[in-house]
Amino acid sequence: MIELVPGRISQAVLLIIVLAAIYAATRIASKRHLKTRGIPGLERIDEWIKEAAGLKRPVFYTPGTGGITDPDTLAGLALLEYVVNHCVEHDARIIVANSDPQVQQMTEDMVKRAYSKAGREKDFSPDMVRYVSTRQFAYAAGVMGILRREKPAVNFFVGSFQAEALQIAETGRTEALYQFGGTTNTDQLPFFTTTCDQTLIGEELYTAQGFLSSDPDVISKLVGSDGGKILAILLILAGVLLATLGSSFLINLLGL
Amino acid sequence: MSSDKKKMSREEFGLQIIIFGLGFFYAIVYYVAVPGVVDLQAVSDQLLAYVTAVLTAAFAIGVINLTRVHWINIKRKRATWRYSVILLLSLYTMLVFSLIASPFALDPNAVVIPASVIQFSTPIWEFLYYKTLVNINSSIFSLLAFFIASAAYRAFKARSLESTILLVAGLLVVLGQAPIADLIWPGFSIIRDWIMAFPNTAGQRGIIIGAALGIIVFSVRRLIRYDW
Repeated sequence: MIELVPGRISQAVLLIIVLAAIYAATRIASKRHLKTRGIPGLERIDEWIKEAAGLKRPVFYTPGTGGITDPDTLAGLALLEYVVNHCVEHDARIIVANSDPQVQQMTEDMVKRAYSKAGREKDFSPDMVRYVSTRQFAYAAGVMGILRREKPAVNFFVGSFQAEALQIAETGRTEALYQFGGTTNTDQLPFFTTTCDQTLIGEELYTAQGFLSSDPDVISKLVGSDGGKILAILLILAGVLLATLGSSFLINLLGL
Repeated sequence: MSSDKKKMSREEFGLQIIIFGLGFFYAIVYYVAVPGVVDLQAVSDQLLAYVTAVLTAAFAIGVINLTRVHWINIKRKRATWRYSVILLLSLYTMLVFSLIASPFALDPNAVVIPASVIQFSTPIWEFLYYKTLVNINSSIFSLLAFFIASAAYRAFKARSLESTILLVAGLLVVLGQAPIADLIWPGFSIIRDWIMAFPNTAGQRGIIIGAALGIIVFSVRRLIRYDW
């Protein structure tokens, strides 16, 4: 007999409601011609890559120290796809540094695929995608070394980062590179905003790819996730109101 | 990043079925149980063990990549080829001694490897690990102090209203944290606690809630190949 795990029933119901709200908001938005407010600086990615190509300097990209199951890493990889395609288009050399061997495999495949899609398989070189180290500070030292020695024009570090982020960012700052950072780690975000020209904060990391598109269909999907967010905000407000009035109804309901 | 709908190849379709099936299974296991019929949690744990096995194999691929990249450096006598020699020597020396004498040695009971070799290798591995690797790791970590100082200097410049608020809030928290603060004025630690408990926590939670919702949407999108 199939049964729901006690304590997780409300979570399952809530997940279904949030997904339904996202779907409904997407459907409604797809019928209207919407424009995004944009994330400042995001449109400059292309400009920076062109500049790197003009200066004959590489573009550096690292998705951080997270594993392949880390959502931040996956979001970082999604943006890498955009960056690498534009590097190939503008003939800018890309260097990708990885901390996780599985992520290394994925990034190598992405870069190779971008070159073969453009019919330029011969331009791909194995040293474009490098495995540095799984150890946090060995990885930091390796990335700092690449930034100092290879002198890229742009430093993209978007993904899962811990304390090593500041070391990478400050090294990039010292080298006067354009810096583009992004993470959901709130402990590291202040360092990102201090040292980067552009930072993807929190959920922007997951929606950046959508903002880079002007396709109305893609924009409607961005609105979809906002539908889920509105629902969460309403739930929080209801919780605050009920808790202030001394009712634990919502807490008990969510504990089911 | 394009939203163009492309037809999936047979391989891609097969892969997508596996990805969706496993992702859906893991989501279901979290919420559903089938007592008396099948222990879904045990199945899930077994699958995770396979993930660990794949992950371990991926390490070997990492080492191959590292060797290939640095071997090319040496072969082509690039500007930094000397560093590549040091890296490869360190990597393989550590690998050999770790396989013989570390807590994860291949033959700790000296069945195949002679005991004298293990005895000879143990102090060398200990030196390489505890006296070299650990210390280098700590040194790189401690560089953070200097990086934090330079980042704080840049952040705490009152160039706009926002950076002035950051400067004032930062100074109050630093003062509240310093042991001498209570001797100067007891209010510093109260202000610090308020800043940390309310504006700081509220801001952080906003980001965390937004990111959590982003993760849900992103994961579903990836799972069902909702393009972009």
